[in-house]
Amino acid sequence: MASEVNTDFLHDKKLDSIAADILRPVGITQGFIVWMGFLGISLLACIYAYYIQFDKGLIVTGLRDYISWGMYIANFVFFVATSLVGMLISSVLGLIGFKWVKPIARIAEIIAVAFAAIAGLVIVSDMGRPERLPYVFMYGRIQSPIIWDVTVVTTYLVISTLLYFLPLIPDLAISKGRMGHTPKWLQKTYEILAVNWKHTPKQYQILLKAVRIMLILIIPTAFAIHTVTSWLFAVTLRPGWDSSIFGPYFLTGAFVAGSAAVVIMMYFVRTNYKLDKYLTEHHFDMMGKLLVLVSIVYLYFNINEYLVPGFKMKTAEAIHLKDLFVGDWAFMFWSVQLLGLVIPIILLLFKFFRKPLSMFVISIVVLIAAWFKRLIIVVPTQDHPFLPIQHVPKAWMVYQPTIVESAITIGTLLLVIIIITVLVKFFPVIPIWEMAEEQNEIDSKSKE
Amino acid sequence: MSQNSNGTGHEHTSREEDNVNSRRAFFKNFGLFGAVAAVGGAAIYSGYEYQESKPGHDMVKVLTSDNRIVEVPRDQIKDVKVDTDQLQKQGREGLKGHRFVMVIDLSKCRNARKCISACQGAHHLRPYEYHINTLVMQESEHTAPYFMPKPCQHCDNPPCVAVCPVDATFKRQDGIVLIDNERCIGCRFCIAACPYSARLFHWEEPLMAESDKGKPYNIELNVPQRKGTITKCLFSSDRLREGKLPYCVSACPNGVYYFGDENQDAVTNGTTKETFRLSELLKVNAGYQLMAELGTKPRVYYLPPKNRLFEFKDEKDPVQETT
Amino acid sequence: MIKRYFTLLLIVLISIRLSAQVWVVPAENDARKSPFAFDDASRKAGSEIYMTSCKSCHGEPGKNNAVPLVPPPPDMSSVRMQANSDGAMQYKITNGRGTMPSFKNTIATTDVWKVISFVRSFNDKYVQEVAAQAAGGASVANVNIKLNWLKEQNQIQATLSAPSKDKGILPVGGAEVKLFAKRYFGNLLVDEARNTDAAGVALFNFPKDLPGDSAGLVQLVVALSNEAFGDAKRDTTLAIGVPTYRPPLNEQRAMWNVVSKTPIWLLLAYTIAVFGAWGFIIYVFLQIRGIYRAGSEKNTESAE
Repeated sequence: MASEVNTDFLHDKKLDSIAADILRPVGITQGFIVWMGFLGISLLACIYAYYIQFDKGLIVTGLRDYISWGMYIANFVFFVATSLVGMLISSVLGLIGFKWVKPIARIAEIIAVAFAAIAGLVIVSDMGRPERLPYVFMYGRIQSPIIWDVTVVTTYLVISTLLYFLPLIPDLAISKGRMGHTPKWLQKTYEILAVNWKHTPKQYQILLKAVRIMLILIIPTAFAIHTVTSWLFAVTLRPGWDSSIFGPYFLTGAFVAGSAAVVIMMYFVRTNYKLDKYLTEHHFDMMGKLLVLVSIVYLYFNINEYLVPGFKMKTAEAIHLKDLFVGDWAFMFWSVQLLGLVIPIILLLFKFFRKPLSMFVISIVVLIAAWFKRLIIVVPTQDHPFLPIQHVPKAWMVYQPTIVESAITIGTLLLVIIIITVLVKFFPVIPIWEMAEEQNEIDSKSKE
Repeated sequence: MSQNSNGTGHEHTSREEDNVNSRRAFFKNFGLFGAVAAVGGAAIYSGYEYQESKPGHDMVKVLTSDNRIVEVPRDQIKDVKVDTDQLQKQGREGLKGHRFVMVIDLSKCRNARKCISACQGAHHLRPYEYHINTLVMQESEHTAPYFMPKPCQHCDNPPCVAVCPVDATFKRQDGIVLIDNERCIGCRFCIAACPYSARLFHWEEPLMAESDKGKPYNIELNVPQRKGTITKCLFSSDRLREGKLPYCVSACPNGVYYFGDENQDAVTNGTTKETFRLSELLKVNAGYQLMAELGTKPRVYYLPPKNRLFEFKDEKDPVQETT
Repeated sequence: MIKRYFTLLLIVLISIRLSAQVWVVPAENDARKSPFAFDDASRKAGSEIYMTSCKSCHGEPGKNNAVPLVPPPPDMSSVRMQANSDGAMQYKITNGRGTMPSFKNTIATTDVWKVISFVRSFNDKYVQEVAAQAAGGASVANVNIKLNWLKEQNQIQATLSAPSKDKGILPVGGAEVKLFAKRYFGNLLVDEARNTDAAGVALFNFPKDLPGDSAGLVQLVVALSNEAFGDAKRDTTLAIGVPTYRPPLNEQRAMWNVVSKTPIWLLLAYTIAVFGAWGFIIYVFLQIRGIYRAGSEKNTESAE
């Protein structure tokens, strides 16, 4: 993002066409109502599932004393991981000066906000005593990684929201008078959220400074949020979790999941809102290259994580690794590694596969694999504690997720989709002013 | 009404002792919460006031904390008001000047599982919910299998306490690691952190949730147990406060357990009640700690399973369906 | 199934073999008799001891609910149990064998007789034979024990005396005395049991490394257990132990301790990080207000 903004674009006719393109899908449409109705009804079923759990206790899940963290925690890690992409794209790539991320940045921030916001809720679904959530703030022990996690997730959510909101302010002002097709309340909301934006140079100056501060601050925060999440496991003594590279291992894995999520959303926006002028094949090509890069880095950490203990085969580690490589978890383990990592890397090296549709398909596979990868990190370690599991019902020895548990997990995913849908449908999904400014710059350059 | 519900009532009376006449000391062991009237079908329930009853010879049968039915004059029964705050305070403080320690002699354990049932009775647990569990251990293929009772190790560097976000589990000055189920949020991070699998979680309503309802919470007994919270071995800290050995220790028929105070260098056998020098016992028998290499500094010591006086028989347990 | 059958067979065989071994009691012990007559008081006292020390294996008398050990602990009301002479019971309780532990150091001799008195209450046909009164005439109530600490030798000297009918106060010789140090859950036998000499004196070696309280005080119990004299006990507190003070285990700053005992480095790192990040966030919120204000300023460059 440039430090100076040339406000010439405001008088450019191109602004009108860009604003029209981007604002066209905004508002309540029939499709939106049907889609939200579907999401809402599905969510109700999931909320009922949560009511059952709240009433009966966590007995309705497949969790028991030995495997006491399961789908919920895996889902939490997945959500936190996916939300990190906001930092990667708008901050790291943006600050380096990659111009192609401009139309994608807001999509990345929407993903960051939605996933980070619901991640907190996912954790609550795992709690035995959810009504005691305030205790975390009242009696928090700052030695506990959970308190660190709560702190950084909150901070990350606020920064991500600011990074979504701040660059949106000029767009909200631009939209004024161009929103005839939308309901009155939405226009009113725009007016309030536009915080008296008049496009003055001083306002741009303040805005750019604020955005810049947040872009820098979000880097350590994002590193912290996922490193701390990895520490929830790494600070324990259990084989499979007791690893010193868990922080970077999780972080790089997060970028894979997040990039895939961005590609999926890009594809939806592009096809549904007919924005292929802004989300071009070039953007998919670049995202494809980014996905290859982060996947290779993640593969590197995977090799470290499994090869080093696999070389030594310490008793407890060996049981765990055998279970993953050739035992009960082998099918899921190898599927995830191949479909979620190795094959995408190979395919995406070819330009042929870095086209929107194939990117979309590959990203869906990568994202699903990323979810199961989290399950593989969370559950198998608990299958083999140091001391044998004896004299307990057989069902306690194997983790078998229940329908209630799955429904609650799906419910959290639905909530993410609802947040994304609302943000995408009610606000411009591509930064109008940045697009117009860029266009203006190109035009003025070509004139010279 | 429950027979095990008296821990709390108990304690309060003993604290009151100072300002009560000596005759009352006789009733020290009556927990009113466990009191049952067997005469005339009149049930005594907790909190019932007996003040208006006639003084003198009106006798009533009550069940004491150690399961005896005794007759006492009706006017001697006092309503014990248990102060939950006080229980919390003394429970978190612990017993001054002590460092409790347990020694488990593996050469004597023949899996009678009496420790387990005594513990489950006291703490209102189901048959498959263990504060203490006896495991069949075998170090490697060609070494002898043996039984290993495994309570919470009450580590001096407790990994479970380090991760607790809300100070629901904590270590006291006497070394005991307790759990406050009025604080616990049920995140189960402590279960993940404990290398000894010593902790369990109430996935559903606890066994005696119905009958324990309304009882003051005794943090040292962790009763009433609560759904959605953690529970674990407490070294029977309610008994220690009275100078008694833990439930499991005194229930063992085989002399497996020794319990005592490291500061006094003494441990007492739960079966024979004989007292030994801790240092000597560990030295002579080459005592060791479980997985000491993890740096948890357990307060439980094991004596190796050598010179066993019985043959090892791995009988299948009713709940057990091990692989 | 076959495996289970063989295990069962094995158990049966072992138990037959073990129970076949007769527990031989020396004739002298077998002939012993209680020094006092069993009465309601002795039965009641015996019942209490039984409940704490014996019930866990032998079960409740008459209910046949003993723990299934090998060999099986007999029920108190069983013929097998009642066939023992009083002396044999006393010998077996005191010495133990195999799974039956020895109660030599935990139940005083008189208390053992009280337990036997309780056990006999489950036998209607039992008629007690009381031991002939020992000569000397000294009785339980009036044995006097004096304790001295001989610092140089690091020994405890116990002197026993008792008034007699005609000869004034006499030393009690030939009596077995034990010295215990009181511990939280029981009494620790400090030295082996000694017999008093003709002067009524017994000397005990005291270990140099036994911890006392912070002032080195140790509460000592001297117990006389003699059928002739009955029981006598004396408690004395002497500054004879190693002064021991160990700080509470939750004193130091540690990751596992309470919030107020957080390690300093963590406290600093956490506080700085949180205040740092939120300082910037609050600053940015203030900037949004700045944007609002800047919009109200009459600005010629305003675009719209």
